[in-house]
Amino acid sequence: MTKKGVLLLVVFIFIIVSFLPVLTLLIKSLFPNGNFSIENYVVLFQSSRTWILLRNSLSLAVVATVVTLFLGIPLGILFSKTNLPFKELFTLLFTIPFIIPSYMIAIGWFYALAPQGILTRILGTHVTEIMLHHFFGFPGAVLVMTSVLLPVVVILTMTYLGLVDPKLEEAARLSSGWILTLRKISLPIISPGIFLAGLLVFALTLGEFGVPSFLRYNVFPVEAFTQFSAFYNFGAATAATIPLGIIILLIVIVERYFLRKRTFELIKGTGKEEKITIELNQWKVSILIFVIVFAAIIVFIPLGSLISKSVSLVACRETFVRSMDSVLRSLVYSSIGATLLTLFGFFLGYLLERKVFHFAWAIDSMAFFLFALPGTVIGIGLISLWNNPATNFIYASAAVIILGYIAQYAALGERMMAATYAQIPTSMEEAAQITGVGWFRRLVGIVAPMAKRGLIATWLIGFLFCSKDLGSTMMIYPPGHDTLPVRIFTLMANSPEEIIAALCVLMLGIAFLPLCALGVIFKKSRVKS
Amino acid sequence: MILKIENVFKTYNGTAAISGVELDVERGERLVILGPSGCGKTTLLRMVAGFIQPDKGKILIENKTVSDNGKCFVEPEHREVGMVFQDLALWPHMNVSENLAFGLKAKKIPKSEIKKRIDEILEKMQMIPFKNRFPKELSGGQQQRVALARALVMRPKILLMDEPLSNLDFELNLALRREILRLQSEFNTTLVYVTHDRDEAFSLATRVVIMEHGQIQKIGSVKDIANYILEMSKKF
Repeated sequence: MTKKGVLLLVVFIFIIVSFLPVLTLLIKSLFPNGNFSIENYVVLFQSSRTWILLRNSLSLAVVATVVTLFLGIPLGILFSKTNLPFKELFTLLFTIPFIIPSYMIAIGWFYALAPQGILTRILGTHVTEIMLHHFFGFPGAVLVMTSVLLPVVVILTMTYLGLVDPKLEEAARLSSGWILTLRKISLPIISPGIFLAGLLVFALTLGEFGVPSFLRYNVFPVEAFTQFSAFYNFGAATAATIPLGIIILLIVIVERYFLRKRTFELIKGTGKEEKITIELNQWKVSILIFVIVFAAIIVFIPLGSLISKSVSLVACRETFVRSMDSVLRSLVYSSIGATLLTLFGFFLGYLLERKVFHFAWAIDSMAFFLFALPGTVIGIGLISLWNNPATNFIYASAAVIILGYIAQYAALGERMMAATYAQIPTSMEEAAQITGVGWFRRLVGIVAPMAKRGLIATWLIGFLFCSKDLGSTMMIYPPGHDTLPVRIFTLMANSPEEIIAALCVLMLGIAFLPLCALGVIFKKSRVKS
Repeated sequence: MILKIENVFKTYNGTAAISGVELDVERGERLVILGPSGCGKTTLLRMVAGFIQPDKGKILIENKTVSDNGKCFVEPEHREVGMVFQDLALWPHMNVSENLAFGLKAKKIPKSEIKKRIDEILEKMQMIPFKNRFPKELSGGQQQRVALARALVMRPKILLMDEPLSNLDFELNLALRREILRLQSEFNTTLVYVTHDRDEAFSLATRVVIMEHGQIQKIGSVKDIANYILEMSKKF
């Protein structure tokens, strides 16, 4: 099979697996009884509840984005450009809340604020009672979403700052101090990257299901889930997904037409130039103390509460009995999901980076759209497409969960592999091609070995995202196929806190190993470059 | 005639990179394309290799059409040309022997023959002691030799070289020019060489093409071109 043939086949499979469910959802909403009707939309937009949900969803997304950017950009600068001690350890620490299902951070805070919790012991009951009262609702949702999504801003700020040509900063340093240089040179240069980070935080908050659901803050993804699972009102559930789809579509358009081009136009460095470091001098100790205190608030309090609550032999035994099957399923499904995401990423990333077809941008936008789309929407889309007698063998098996992973996270594999291919000069392939080597052999013999680290990193990131997925899995998991995040979420209402905490710690353990492996890979890449 | 380029055009975003180029190359010839950056010389070379498809025009290798106004296009792997890239493009995960063997294996040449060919060419380049080394373990000059060996081991009809010596110091540049001349004569291959360096062009070429703004300004022997350049410089 030729290069174009293989890539077209992969694109075709990707569209069937990922985009068709969302398309089916849209069509079903427009043809409720087999005939075209916009009745669902009229009902949706005439209902005052829709506007309340829209206000709730947007205000949470906007405030969480602003707070995350406000905190994440300075941290990104500190970790990438200064001589702050232990900055790699801090980067790893701040990443932990992102790698586990976000509602677990909410549980951690809840336990910390509970009568026997860490914070209650420090601050006293009267303070934590007030805090707990505010925690359930908007302020708590902002706090948790900020803690969870902070690494998105920190890591993207670090990455883009690392790509700025140091000569530009050096030229500014000849006439101004670091603060002015950062404010007038570095940050404006990376502003499209920061804007992208903001868009991602906005989209991920907008699509979050677990945290608002736990904190009883009603937003669209929660509404869609409730309509579907509690009332089995498929039409209302579908309708609740439409406003989110429209907002995400706008985000994709902004990313595609305004952001990406500017990002690459402004950032001219390769990341391999020798960097200059900001010496913190007399500020070093005070900034270090500030970062430690901040890490304690964002990371140690919620995770510490979970860990301290889980330290009980009975809890461990119960955890083992109640969840071993879910743990195994999570490991197996996430491994399969990660492998397929890597495989799709391998081909789609190639398609995108090497611009094999003119429509490569459309596939990329499609993948980004699906990534930003709430998991509950993808879940309902999958149900719309696969829940019929002919395809019940898929709908009633674990395959539907894996399809959900691919639909939601294909963009990760695709963009990570495209970034990997961008580091491999096309001349490497051309040198093989001119000696008479066919495309598939070039791919296996030249591209894959050279992209080895990118492939492993893609698998690990894919595994992390699949293993913590709740949004789509919660909607579609067939009986007897619940994964660990789903099991914890469903046990939460009627199980002892110790067991829930132990399950969360177990989830943390599952996610921590790939995170460490990723840390090693990125460190090696940096040393090599 | 081994290579014939007929009225070839290539445009990028409305800007002509190659505009109506006509060129014939004889077997065994050493043709050097000389011109400033952005004049289209690399684009022309990559069209011959098959990495870029012309918008218009025809390219023939050994009287066989390899590109014809979009009607026919032979992929690079089927053109039997060799190329040394500006960045050399040595595969970092393969040692010297593996770099040389990769293309031969793809052509399903027997193992014994592959070994014989690799040893023969490495012998000629005095690179036998380095056959198990990886690219990063070689000096700049040694890497150049491996890139050249990798192209020649395939016994190409035409050897294309895209400014391969541009990043080397003067001494090494001179030494490698001599090596290229020696190998070209030993392998009796046709050389199409692209450079912006006049000295390099005159020391390597039997015939020189001057390119500017995507067009051929002048074709002639080294002496003709030297005179042409002299006259042009007098005019200014």
